[in-house]
Amino acid sequence: MSELNTASLVRDIKLLIIDALGLEDIGPDDIGDEQTLFGEGLGLDSVDALELGLAIQKKYGIKIDADAKDTRNHFTSVASLAAFVTAKQPA
Amino acid sequence: MNWIKLERLLLKALPARAICQAPALDHAQLHECALSVAAGLQARGINRLAVQLEDAADLAIALLGAWRAGVSVLLPSDLQPQTRQRWAGEVDLWLTDQPDDAQLNDFQQPPLSGAELDLDQCRLSLCTSGSSGEPKRIDKTLRQLANEVEALEQLWGTGLGEACIIGSVATQHIYGLLFRVLWPLCAGRPIVRRQLAFAEDLQRASREHPAFAWVASPALLKRMGDNLDWPAMSAVRRVFSSGGALPAEAAQRLKQRLQQWPTEILGSSETGGIAWRQGEPLWQPFAGVELSQDSDGALLVASPYLPVGRIEHTADAARIAADGRFELLGRLDRIVKLEEKRVSLPMLEQALVTHDWVAEARLGVVQENRASLGALLVLSESGLFALREHGRRSLTETLRQHLREHCEALALPRRWRLVRQLPLNSQGKLPQADIEALLIGDRPKAPEVLAQAQTDGEWHLQLNVPPDLAYFSGHFPKAPVLPGVVQVEWALNLGRQLLNLTGAFAGMEVLKFQQLVRPGDEIQLHLRFDAERGKLYFAYRNATATCSSGRILLGAPHA
Repeated sequence: MSELNTASLVRDIKLLIIDALGLEDIGPDDIGDEQTLFGEGLGLDSVDALELGLAIQKKYGIKIDADAKDTRNHFTSVASLAAFVTAKQPA
Repeated sequence: MNWIKLERLLLKALPARAICQAPALDHAQLHECALSVAAGLQARGINRLAVQLEDAADLAIALLGAWRAGVSVLLPSDLQPQTRQRWAGEVDLWLTDQPDDAQLNDFQQPPLSGAELDLDQCRLSLCTSGSSGEPKRIDKTLRQLANEVEALEQLWGTGLGEACIIGSVATQHIYGLLFRVLWPLCAGRPIVRRQLAFAEDLQRASREHPAFAWVASPALLKRMGDNLDWPAMSAVRRVFSSGGALPAEAAQRLKQRLQQWPTEILGSSETGGIAWRQGEPLWQPFAGVELSQDSDGALLVASPYLPVGRIEHTADAARIAADGRFELLGRLDRIVKLEEKRVSLPMLEQALVTHDWVAEARLGVVQENRASLGALLVLSESGLFALREHGRRSLTETLRQHLREHCEALALPRRWRLVRQLPLNSQGKLPQADIEALLIGDRPKAPEVLAQAQTDGEWHLQLNVPPDLAYFSGHFPKAPVLPGVVQVEWALNLGRQLLNLTGAFAGMEVLKFQQLVRPGDEIQLHLRFDAERGKLYFAYRNATATCSSGRILLGAPHA
């Protein structure tokens, strides 16, 4: 994937987070690529993680493998989510 | 004072006993009018009467007359078509101030004879909005009302003496009915006929009486300003407050200005009076009120103001002290569940208000993908300052941090709405459904017009720039200012409305932006239309200088 595409995917994911979680007063530029999304950092909680999981699967037509142990690691930051989506998407 | 029991008010006429002025009415006249109404109702075969009369003395006549005739009375909360329809099946006749209904002077029959009223047969129904908003009827007997006014007289009769009773609340609800009508009638205290909703009117009425007391509500008491003659008003014998919680700050201010604490009454249409307090955190139950609690901590009330044996469940959580007085801990129906976790909205509201930036706060549930909390805030001066200097996100983030000490992350409000004042309804309440509608609604895009006047073809408008204007987020979110393009749009929209301008927007001239306009500002807008040249002149001013000005060109009016 080209750098341009990665940048646009990262931005899309930020918009998805803002939209799916109904965040107020936050624009895509306020979320750092590597910023921790949950707990400290952006302050999202476990219910947001559930919501976000659903939104990501729906938007990108991918499945989060329920049996894999490290699934939730993909949700650490926008960058890790982008990498996850890229890896899962059909080429 | 010469106390007459409620059930004996129609026994004999007492011409020397004054009731009110403007027009003057004494007890003998009241006696005769009420007994005429009784005769009229009987002649018409009325059994169930709905009454809404703005004048407290007229209401007294209607009530006593109906009871004398054995007619049960319903006091509807309003006269909206829906309300009328709701009670249509339970009412034979509507007696109101409206021309299409029966009027008090329709009943000019020869009066029935004076008689004692039956405490258990005479009935009154009050209406209140249940927590769901659905109107609810609450039935009372004359005995319950009589017990309550006697308890009030025992407590405060001596101190009130011959004070004229001046009220800012409607007599349609239990508090106004007892305090403005039934209690003074029994005590022989003069009353002011009309509900005086403004402090200035209250002051004017007070000046006309050597002794006076106020039956008021928080809606009025917390908005009494420095424009009043407080030294003169401090002669007030007692200031009653009920209908909703009086903010501690408002009580404190009254104490400073009047050298006495307001007397707060806790109660509801369902329970009648429960308790009172005056400058103390704890509530003192009225005589004969027995309190207990259910397993959730909700206050249970049994009292002589309720039917015998009835235990009324309130939605108020309380802690009862050893001496029988109690502390209120907030409403239990305002404890919500978010993702299976119980969250007390009043507790979080109190926590928000302890922050310097927050004057008032109400929380509600915002149901979107997930349920989360939203906060409706009135900012303090320093809060408004913080908003102007650092922007909305910094403000809400700071408040979220502040709340973290009081609750889990899950309960932190995600939606914020900043308002100039809480939009209380006419009963001084803000129903939960209204809070939640505001939270889910969009942020405002138009100014709030506080006043408008026209002189010599020029309009002068007083505008409030809503602190939460939607445009403040896009432009310099960290230092919100009102964008010039929005100022032009407001001028054009208001100009179109007020001056009936129809021409299409065709350009602008000599635009000047000189001073920043910021959240919460009060500004004036001057508008003038030069029809010959098709130009709308506008100028925004703050207290000291012109903020912006210009001319908007309008094309030929649309055909």
